Amino acid sequence: MASSFKSLNLFGSGPHRFSLGKQGELYLPAYVVGGSGSGTSLIGPLELDVIIVGRLVASGESALWTLRDAVKAQLAHPPTPGTLIDLYGHTWTNMSFLTFQEMDRVDRGRVWSVAYKAIFRKIA
Amino acid sequence: MIIFWPRRVTFGAETWDGVVAVSIDRVGVRAVVEWSDYGPHPIFADSPELRTTITVSMEIMRGVVASPRPGQVAMLTVDISPNTSQSQVRRVTAQAVVVRVTHDLTVKKGAVRTIELLAVSSDGAADPITETLIHGMEPK
Repeated sequence: MASSFKSLNLFGSGPHRFSLGKQGELYLPAYVVGGSGSGTSLIGPLELDVIIVGRLVASGESALWTLRDAVKAQLAHPPTPGTLIDLYGHTWTNMSFLTFQEMDRVDRGRVWSVAYKAIFRKIA
Repeated sequence: MIIFWPRRVTFGAETWDGVVAVSIDRVGVRAVVEWSDYGPHPIFADSPELRTTITVSMEIMRGVVASPRPGQVAMLTVDISPNTSQSQVRRVTAQAVVVRVTHDLTVKKGAVRTIELLAVSSDGAADPITETLIHGMEPK
């Protein structure tokens, strides 16, 4: 099935893969937060990150810009949370689309394509 | 593409005599390959950066001093015909840069000069190699 964010198939033009960011507790050395010695201070649970790495694929320059613009249109400030669904239908609710970063250059071969990394976070 | 015994080969204003073969190799310099979350096989591949290399092999019948130099750029033309007539002569052309000139010397074969050239595109999108049918070809 197609992935989606807020029911939009933003990344379906090309291959893309889902992964989860670091999970667990956010911790710092105790001395950083006013403690003494070598202990650890627990700050709280890490917010869940869902990371999508993939490639936008288009037939040409203008078509690729259309795909980029569709993604950029979902990068709001402040982010407005929505539901993110992966290729298997796994669902994460209340996810904020934080960043979209293109990796390296646009590849202009048989098709126009650009690799990217998109980060979504469940902001507590 | 490989061409044996072309009718005529020129590089800019020079005519290269004794050419026995011209080969044109197209190689993808960088491959883009992507996988999906569905399984182990790539679902996308492309070759967005190409290198087109032309190799000219020529017999050297006598000692020569003149030689193309790496970095030299000119229009390379290779005329091909299926027989000795003037009909159906095709011309392969490319703006090309000399990248390597080497010689192979053996007692049995004599001297063979190999010139390797890199074909360059006019704008990056156009194929650096063009092939056209030539009419009214003058005798070799």
